Amino acid sequence: MRRRPAALLAALFVLAHVALGQEQPVQGSAEQGLRGQVLAEGLILFGAVFILAAALGMLRFPDFYTRLHASTKLVTLGGLGILGGAALAFSAVGASERVLLIAAFFLLTAPLSGYMIAHSGYLGGLRPFREDSSVDEWQECGALAETVIAESRSEAEEIDRNQ
Amino acid sequence: MVIDIALACIVLAMIFAIFRVLRGPSWGDRIVALDFLGVNTALLIVIVAMRSGYDSFLDAALIVSILGFLTTVALSRYLLVGRVMK
Repeated sequence: MRRRPAALLAALFVLAHVALGQEQPVQGSAEQGLRGQVLAEGLILFGAVFILAAALGMLRFPDFYTRLHASTKLVTLGGLGILGGAALAFSAVGASERVLLIAAFFLLTAPLSGYMIAHSGYLGGLRPFREDSSVDEWQECGALAETVIAESRSEAEEIDRNQ
Repeated sequence: MVIDIALACIVLAMIFAIFRVLRGPSWGDRIVALDFLGVNTALLIVIVAMRSGYDSFLDAALIVSILGFLTTVALSRYLLVGRVMK
């Protein structure tokens, strides 16, 4: 039972070797030269380090809200770094528009999904780990959260009854 | 070389996120970790496309990022209200 993480790591390593068997890596184009290639690799390294930092924060932080903070913000910055580096490298092949499309979609949806998670977590009753470290304005207005969630649940039940 | 280091960083981050999915104290932590996993899968596909040279993988990365966003919205809404659609 204790050796399961090691076995998982070994299986991932073997899978990566099988998946990355044939190598024709995309390099920077000739007109970009060495400078574009170095810039692309630097951007990718920047993004990967930020994503690793986000995962460490999500592993070590004590609370739902702090984990959401680490995940959403750092992943936005790191993902844009990786996608910018990939767009620079793929401009040699002529496929950088699709990478920029992924980057635009990512920039649009990452704050929106973070907002949705925080909203549903607050209304679902998740509390911060120390009450005195936060200001909860919605609760002071007279327990609005319970009324909002009860209204939406009753609406859902009414729709279920009508069907 | 740099691409390999980035690949290792993303796989390590995904392993940490899987740990958080399996042992999240609350359901909110699991949703956060699943969102993180979806984004990381799309970035992993982009880096694998860079390394292997097939630019057809980029379409798969776009689809995976769209599916990850829709999964996050549907999960958070379902766990809050009990329904996905209005």
